Amino acid sequence: MTTENIIEIKNLVTKFDDRVILDDISLEIERGEIFVILGSSGGGKTTLLKHIIGLLKPFSGEISVLGQDILKMELEDFEGILKKIGVLFQGGALLNSMAVWENVAMSLEHHTKLPAATIRNIVKQKLSLVNLKHAYWLFPSELSGGMKKRVALARAIAMDPEILFFDEPSAGLDPITAADLDDLILELQKKLGITLVVVTHELESIKRIADRILYLQKGKNIFCGTLDEAKALGNEEIDRFFGWNKKTKNN
Amino acid sequence: MKSQNENTIVFEEDFYNSSITELLEKLEKLKASSKSKILLDFSRTINFDTLSVAIFLHFEKDNGITLILSDTIKKEIAEFKKNIAFDEKRNDEISGIDSLVIKVEDFVSQMKSFIILTADVFHYSFRALFNREGRKEGSVYQQMLLMGNNAVPIIFLLSFLIGLILSLQSAAQLRQFGANIYLVDLIVIGMILEMGPIIAAVIVAGRSGSAIAAEISTMKITEELDALQVMALNPLKYVVAPKMLAMTVCLPMLTIIANMVGIFGGFIVGVLYLGLSPDIFINRAVSVMTLYYWYQSMLKSVLFSWLIVLIGAHFGFNVKGGAEGVGKAATSSVVAAIFAVIITDAFLSLIFYFEF
Repeated sequence: MTTENIIEIKNLVTKFDDRVILDDISLEIERGEIFVILGSSGGGKTTLLKHIIGLLKPFSGEISVLGQDILKMELEDFEGILKKIGVLFQGGALLNSMAVWENVAMSLEHHTKLPAATIRNIVKQKLSLVNLKHAYWLFPSELSGGMKKRVALARAIAMDPEILFFDEPSAGLDPITAADLDDLILELQKKLGITLVVVTHELESIKRIADRILYLQKGKNIFCGTLDEAKALGNEEIDRFFGWNKKTKNN
Repeated sequence: MKSQNENTIVFEEDFYNSSITELLEKLEKLKASSKSKILLDFSRTINFDTLSVAIFLHFEKDNGITLILSDTIKKEIAEFKKNIAFDEKRNDEISGIDSLVIKVEDFVSQMKSFIILTADVFHYSFRALFNREGRKEGSVYQQMLLMGNNAVPIIFLLSFLIGLILSLQSAAQLRQFGANIYLVDLIVIGMILEMGPIIAAVIVAGRSGSAIAAEISTMKITEELDALQVMALNPLKYVVAPKMLAMTVCLPMLTIIANMVGIFGGFIVGVLYLGLSPDIFINRAVSVMTLYYWYQSMLKSVLFSWLIVLIGAHFGFNVKGGAEGVGKAATSSVVAAIFAVIITDAFLSLIFYFEF
């Protein structure tokens, strides 16, 4: 596989009032990899994600997604890019007024000219991919937290996106469900060749899925590379994050 | 705890805050009964909890108490003092003229965002007239049912009662002058020009304006709006435009109902109380009811419908905080909508009355 940068960020700076949230972030994400953004709470992970999907505008810097500069784009062109990406929000962000199948069908209904029967078939297929066939007619309020996330995942992959963004996919899930979700992520990458950008704290999940990581500390990029490189780096905070220099009680 | 003599209390190794209420009551009594200082001996105390440290500190500052503390306690107090040595004052507290300036600035920026929202909503709603893309199928119809159809019974009842009472109060006055027939003019013009549009708008602002604000603000808080946006669905197109279209149709229709039912209330009073014959009432009503009045009535209600949706959407999109914010958005939207409706009504009435 040739390496092609699917997302490029150059010198991104974000401020809320006078507080600097992201300080001079530059990074490249390659097609087909699982890229994990991590760091301490309040480090700017979610903010960075929101910049890439266009929900926030930066103070300065450049962001290009799928080879196009999203900051200099007209809204309608940007919508074209949005159709090629999927986003899984922290709380799922399902539309509460619609049944599960309608939520999953939304983008298909609005952005494709597929006949209704075909859309329903795609929805069924995506729901069975996340093991939620039985939830077809349920409403989001009738689902558990884990189910909501899985429905949101089904919705995010409904259009077979090129890039999938996850904002803390396993936060608040039990270890078994979280592991299942990781399996699903790996399967998606293998089967569909999707690029995944994941914000997470879960060590287990990072160790299992991450091809490369970006470590943010107070809005600064302190490391970007593979896990092995991170281990070799010997940065105190990263070591503490992963527990690599953990002293046991006995010594 | 032990009392050695009247003014001295010696404590054991353990001191926990569970015994504090008892101790404080005892101290109160001691202070009341004797004038000399009270001695609290904590020299043997080594086991205590964090709350107790705060209490030791409190005793230290009390002039009526002499305190003997163990070294462990002294160490903990020193640590405690270090921990509390920061300014608890909010540094963003602003007073006087500055707060006024900030309020004005806030208002101006709110108005700015309202105007931008208004322009955007008109843009997308006008496009939505000719283009069904970007909204849920049948959403305009569904909104019409919610905001229009479901409001009919309450509008029916309230405008009937208002028409009835308005006529009854006026009839008593008119009768004194033998001007019974003018009740028809009064109720027809009053309902069509003022009361009908206002009653309908106020009820709809209370029912649907708050619902719009609550719905949008909840969607914002639960990231549903963000989700729509990243699915390349514009929230203004998807959420607001259907409401705008539905309301533009529904409120004038509700106003027509309010007008007619209110006049019917007047009819009841005219016939039963003033003894007008039904024929005369109807003939007179039809001759008074010019198309010009109906134009005014409809113009008002269309403007009111836009105000209600826009204000609801504005407070919805600008929600801050969680559940409390949603409540605030709903309340403010109703208050602001009714305020705006009445101001606009007064303004329009003046314009039409003097025919500028």
